[in-house]
Amino acid sequence: MSCRTMPNVAPHPAAEMVAASAPGEVRIVAFLCNWCSYAGADKTGMNQLPVPAEVSVVRVMCSGRVEPTLILETFQKGADGVMVLACHPGDCHYKEGNLRAFCRAELLERMMPQLGVDPARFYFDYVSAAEAEKFSQVTNDFVAAVRGLAGTDSGR
Amino acid sequence: MNKQPRTAVILCTCSGIISEKIDWDAVQAQLAEHPDKPVVTTDELACGAENLEKLAAWLKEHQPERVVVAACSPREHERTFRGLLASAGINPYYLQMINVREQVAWVTADPGEATRKAARLIGAALKRVRHHQPLVERHVPVRTDVAVIGAGPAGIQAALTLARAGRRVTLIEKEPFFGGMPVRFEELFPNLECGPCLLEPGMGELLHGPESEHIELLTLTEVTEVKGSFGNWQLSLRQQPRYVNPELCIGCMVCAAVCPERRENPWNCGGELAAVDGPFVGALPNLPHVDAARCLKLNGQECGACLAECPVEGALDFGDTIRDSVVEAGAIIVATGAEELPVAPPAFAGKDNVFSAYSFERLLAMTGPSGGELVKGDGAAPASLAIVQCAGSFDDAVTYCSGTCCQAALKYAHIAAAKQEGLTVTRLVREQVVAGVNAARLFSHDHSQVVRYGGLGDLTVAETDRGRVIVCGSNGAEVPADMIVLCGPTVPGQGTTQTARLLELGVDDAGFIAPIHALSGSFLSPLKGVYLAGTCRGPGDIREAFASGTAAAGVALSELVEGRDLTVDPQVAVVAAEQCAGCKSCIRVCPYKAISWDDATKTADISDILCRGCGTCVAVCPAGAITAQGFSRAMLRAEIEGVLS
Repeated sequence: MSCRTMPNVAPHPAAEMVAASAPGEVRIVAFLCNWCSYAGADKTGMNQLPVPAEVSVVRVMCSGRVEPTLILETFQKGADGVMVLACHPGDCHYKEGNLRAFCRAELLERMMPQLGVDPARFYFDYVSAAEAEKFSQVTNDFVAAVRGLAGTDSGR
Repeated sequence: MNKQPRTAVILCTCSGIISEKIDWDAVQAQLAEHPDKPVVTTDELACGAENLEKLAAWLKEHQPERVVVAACSPREHERTFRGLLASAGINPYYLQMINVREQVAWVTADPGEATRKAARLIGAALKRVRHHQPLVERHVPVRTDVAVIGAGPAGIQAALTLARAGRRVTLIEKEPFFGGMPVRFEELFPNLECGPCLLEPGMGELLHGPESEHIELLTLTEVTEVKGSFGNWQLSLRQQPRYVNPELCIGCMVCAAVCPERRENPWNCGGELAAVDGPFVGALPNLPHVDAARCLKLNGQECGACLAECPVEGALDFGDTIRDSVVEAGAIIVATGAEELPVAPPAFAGKDNVFSAYSFERLLAMTGPSGGELVKGDGAAPASLAIVQCAGSFDDAVTYCSGTCCQAALKYAHIAAAKQEGLTVTRLVREQVVAGVNAARLFSHDHSQVVRYGGLGDLTVAETDRGRVIVCGSNGAEVPADMIVLCGPTVPGQGTTQTARLLELGVDDAGFIAPIHALSGSFLSPLKGVYLAGTCRGPGDIREAFASGTAAAGVALSELVEGRDLTVDPQVAVVAAEQCAGCKSCIRVCPYKAISWDDATKTADISDILCRGCGTCVAVCPAGAITAQGFSRAMLRAEIEGVLS
């Protein structure tokens, strides 16, 4: 796993401004499970709520399908942030895939500093098929947060 | 990948809804420059019937090897466009759909941004489809007959429902008679209906009616092993000898009358049985059975009293042996039931005239040990009756409310008071749960005293000069208690625990079989082709048993249809045996028991019939030996690279 962060690089005052002002500067990959969070993302569209264009959705059948190495590979391929959104506990279409995803996310977050990726660039949450507002909220918040990291020690 | 497959891209405007935000002309111009040189068309409404025909013709003309459709959510129209590919002679799994309506056009304010995002997602799809495989749906013939384990109300109802539809049913019961618990209850709450009268018409139908041709009832039988999967189960059965030929026996019970040996009657909670006897009057099938442990003849002694008096030659069959058999079935309905917590709380254990709810049911029954007389062990009538509700519920061991005992307690209070004038009846309660329109009527007939108590630790039994009392420590109440009934919690039946283990079904905190979904799938086990009925799923009343029996049969009827093969979704996980290291991690995480261990090759093997394609095993395999077809690592990597490029 290559270390993609650039520690000890002094933040350039312009970097933050550019990142903050130009959408598209950050690239976010969001893994959504087919049954809850992907359906929630669809509902966000039906409700015409905003989702940042920087977020690219990759549909999987279950959040339990997303192994930590795939998330790390996504960073390696140049993502500025990765989201994994799952069914709420107890609601998993496949019984417990979401809980496995949660456990893996917890472990991954702890490992990330060792691998040189700021854990703030990773986001795990539960979004149900009904939670359009939540999907809109978490994607907007996460994009803003990752944009905020531009030019910091964990900026790329 | 050596040669790029020819790819077609269909851009849907969704009657202008998508193109309002996304400039398809710009995207089309961009795709013209794409190194893959896809053929591209824009359609007004790609899902429309006429348009689908036109698109099929267009696909046939261009003969692409992969197809990308940028339209609405695949949750809505993936099936439609797979059908389109099939109609154009292209493998349906060569499709990749991009959701540009819900997830781009409708959520992106700026048209420029929306267009760029759509182009980016299409680019990713072009990369992804290169890795698509021509998957093929497999068709497997399925058996349509059903094995029902447990012949209580839920199992009987399921068997009859299936038989009425012409299905062959094997109904498996471990007791020598059937009907479950309520057939032994003389009156059922809330309306004090007669239990046997409610159940026996169905039981009679099952034994002698037109449905009986389709149902094989096996009493004294347990399931010892289950193999196979949905549509093709094999159940190994072991039937204990009855020593009575059911074809010949006329049920006159003369044998019981002349048998010199006696044993305790476990079904009646009191009274005795002859070594050859029926459990209680009215038990069906109306056949005695021989207790091999107690029969003198079977234990090498000189006896043949029953044989001498039996009016039908050959009806008694001392040559009977254990019978092992295998039954094949397309589906299994588990209706193994529940029982009352078999241990009395310490304050009451070992005391005289303390009844569990079930043994009190038998005491009240005309066919019970005292012929329905409310009498103590010494034959005298009690002056007082104390009914302890929640006797073990809300406790460390059983934390839940069974939801039925309050109604049972009100029923006991009512029947006991009616049987004996002047009887003092007290109900000791912690919580009262009596829900429903009819159930409330039980209160209007209730004349018992009600004493609240805090917990079982609160209660002690004491002898006073006024007779026996239950002392309630927290409030000092002394409840007259000549006779005590403990309404304890409902716990999983032995058969439920055993069946859960045999089928490797998960259980909840209380040990009941956990359904696939507590609300929307309470009749379905996580194992395809195994359905759940009655109280194996948790405490419930007879209404619930009938309803769930019908429901489980309904699911079996809808999933197993004569002449309809099982279509196996090819989007499942597959193991590359040569890469499998044999760690069994996948077996542990599979929620559907779809993965088995092949001892010969020392590798994991996934049943495509049981697999539902979640991919949890793929994520857990350290050797990368498992591929989720349709969501392979290569496909996801290509897609990720695509959206990031």
